[in-house]
Amino acid sequence: MAIPVLIVDDSAMSRKMMSRALPAGMDYEITEAANGEEALSAWHAGKGDIILLDLTMPVMDGYTTLEKIKTESLDAFVIVVSADIQPKAKERVKKLGAVAFMKKPIDKKALATVLKKYAPLQ
Amino acid sequence: MNSTATNLVETYQFDDDEQDALREVVNIAMGRAGASLAQILDTFVRLSVPFVHIAGVTEVSGAIGDMLGQETNVIAVRQAFYNSLRGEAIIIFDRKGSRALAGLMGYDKRTDGYIEQEVLLDVSNVLVGACLGGIADQFDMQLSYYAPAIMFEGGSVDDLLKEDRVPWTHALLLEIEFEVEGSGINCHMVILTPEESIGLIREQLHTILESI
Repeated sequence: MAIPVLIVDDSAMSRKMMSRALPAGMDYEITEAANGEEALSAWHAGKGDIILLDLTMPVMDGYTTLEKIKTESLDAFVIVVSADIQPKAKERVKKLGAVAFMKKPIDKKALATVLKKYAPLQ
Repeated sequence: MNSTATNLVETYQFDDDEQDALREVVNIAMGRAGASLAQILDTFVRLSVPFVHIAGVTEVSGAIGDMLGQETNVIAVRQAFYNSLRGEAIIIFDRKGSRALAGLMGYDKRTDGYIEQEVLLDVSNVLVGACLGGIADQFDMQLSYYAPAIMFEGGSVDDLLKEDRVPWTHALLLEIEFEVEGSGINCHMVILTPEESIGLIREQLHTILESI
């Protein structure tokens, strides 16, 4: 069965780069969202087992999205992919439940390594 | 705006894909700049979604005024760059924020104007270097910088970008906002670059867009 992957970023180019960075040899069902609000509704529609999440976005940013995922106990494997490379940004997203923090532009190998931790793939 | 100027803006206007790609390039660059600022101040810096468009200089002043409030007393630093691209970065601080910045850097809050200016120049230099350096790296370009200088002090935003202060009438406007958490400091960076550089930037954006 295809793995539901939700790609959340306000930039279409960045979403495209992230979807191209997913490791080959796996079947994905990719859904795109331009902000946190769209992402949460996509999650509720069953589209977000794995979430690649940007931080700096209009409408609802990545931090708020993570808070909602945490407080509503939504089950998702969230990888933050952001240009915000402050050590404190990394700390914050980890505290908010993100599995990993990756800097932009996304590195294919690093993404593959993180995805190995995703239980259904093990 | 005269008709030649209007045509120029229309000719150089980016399409949606170009604009999206440029915003992402700027976003990555400002991430780097924000991290440098966070390191200097030992605090968290909140980044905004960058705003990118081709504008007339008079428009730029209005846009900044809308964000800061037209009446806000501002202090601005300018730093010119050259080499693969040329232009000028302008960093605008509101007056209160600039004093708070000196405080965060360990100087007395009632610090004299001289120290406040030194701090602003240092901080601006770091922001401009990280941000423009980040853009140039992604475009595989080289940039060099002149020393930053205080451009304007103690007036309203409206007076800041009077045409006689800025040598170009139309430019690519990149507007970036940094907010230092819990301190009330926020600053805006505006990057002005003339027509000839806009063409080069567009070429690089196409290279990136075609590579994905």
